[in-house]
Amino acid sequence: MIDQLPEGKSIGWMQAPPQWIFTHTVRFVGIVRVVIQDGEGFILIKKGKALMYYFKHGRIELRGHAALDYFNSHPTIEFNLCKYTPEEFAQALKICEVEDIDAAEEGEGIKEQAAAVSQQRESVEEPVREQPPVIQRVIQQPPQVAEPAGVSEPEPEWNQVAAQVPVIPEAAIPVRPAEPEAAKPPQPVAPQPVIQKPVVPQPAVLEEPDIKVIGQIKKLNGIVAISVFNDDRNILLMGDVEIEPLLKIARTMLATITTITPHLDWGSFVHMTLQIPEGNVIIAPYHENHLCILTTRTINIGHIRRILRDLQQTGSP
Amino acid sequence: MLKQILNKFLILNDVQAAIVIQENGEIIESMKSGIVIKEDMQDAIATIMLDSKKTAAQFGNAPLSMVFVEFSDYFLILGPVMEEFYLVIIARNTANIGQITYEMKKNQDAIVSLL
Repeated sequence: MIDQLPEGKSIGWMQAPPQWIFTHTVRFVGIVRVVIQDGEGFILIKKGKALMYYFKHGRIELRGHAALDYFNSHPTIEFNLCKYTPEEFAQALKICEVEDIDAAEEGEGIKEQAAAVSQQRESVEEPVREQPPVIQRVIQQPPQVAEPAGVSEPEPEWNQVAAQVPVIPEAAIPVRPAEPEAAKPPQPVAPQPVIQKPVVPQPAVLEEPDIKVIGQIKKLNGIVAISVFNDDRNILLMGDVEIEPLLKIARTMLATITTITPHLDWGSFVHMTLQIPEGNVIIAPYHENHLCILTTRTINIGHIRRILRDLQQTGSP
Repeated sequence: MLKQILNKFLILNDVQAAIVIQENGEIIESMKSGIVIKEDMQDAIATIMLDSKKTAAQFGNAPLSMVFVEFSDYFLILGPVMEEFYLVIIARNTANIGQITYEMKKNQDAIVSLL
């Protein structure tokens, strides 16, 4: 199945916790290609909503929750974000035999809205407070495959070939169901108080343009790896390096800056570069987070400064 | 004699100070122009030296080649000269960094011979 899917436009390889994918793809439409050890899989995503999870290792296939659980069983996974055009996305949906619920609902929504508008002309309507039902889709079950003898990583999920696409809670659509309401006689209703939902703090999110910019920096000659991190965790990593040691070093450097800044009346922190014979480690503020860049010795400090200056002034390297 | 070498840095555009400093923050020699090196700054430089040395060691005991710390108004370049001695250059961020690092490399042996 993976081979049949459109390639898409690669934004870049990165390492991050699986949850990162869901919190950072709000505007992303495409496929997230996942590689874990010798297996590979994907998550088909439309604007933050996963439409399909799939993972294959040898002859073992995982779909839906089983694949998601397997991804989640790893603290970090390596993946490639590949953006799809609408045509490519439609093709991928077809190959995966997944229905684009959003598109279908958008169509329904337009019809319902039109119906509601026509009713509004005739009657006074009460504000809609209904939540749409939780939608659950089930894909055709693939044939159960026997675990090959050579596979030595039989996690519980490996034996399941669940074909369930995860439950996707849809956002409330502000359209009242047309038919039941149409049956009611028009009644003037007092305005209802607006129910405010508690504000949930959002995790650190990088928008797609940020990911693109980071990807562009990664592609520059001499850049080995680039990470976006904050006080709590790594948010994004591009490059073939172990994140934990890198993050430890980046945090140590940041601690140095935090210690010295109150003693120096030199303005705001721009960057710190540590040069060792193998290359450079650079930390720099990036929005509310920080960047950590690992480079070879072929890149000089002047080049690094130019990249960072461009990034801070224009948002692109 | 060390002052003469440090003066080579001071004549570069927008360089404010050239200092030979020990890891513990003790200044061996310095040349300054329009900048006062207070105890706070000495402490900050010592912190950068010690922390950076430790950080570099995390890369398989790699020796520290150079540290560059930039703020919006000034930057600092710190290069090890020998053992516990470092050469520190403080400059406005309009200074030519390539020229400074070139002079640092060029004069390293001369500084070592005087320590």
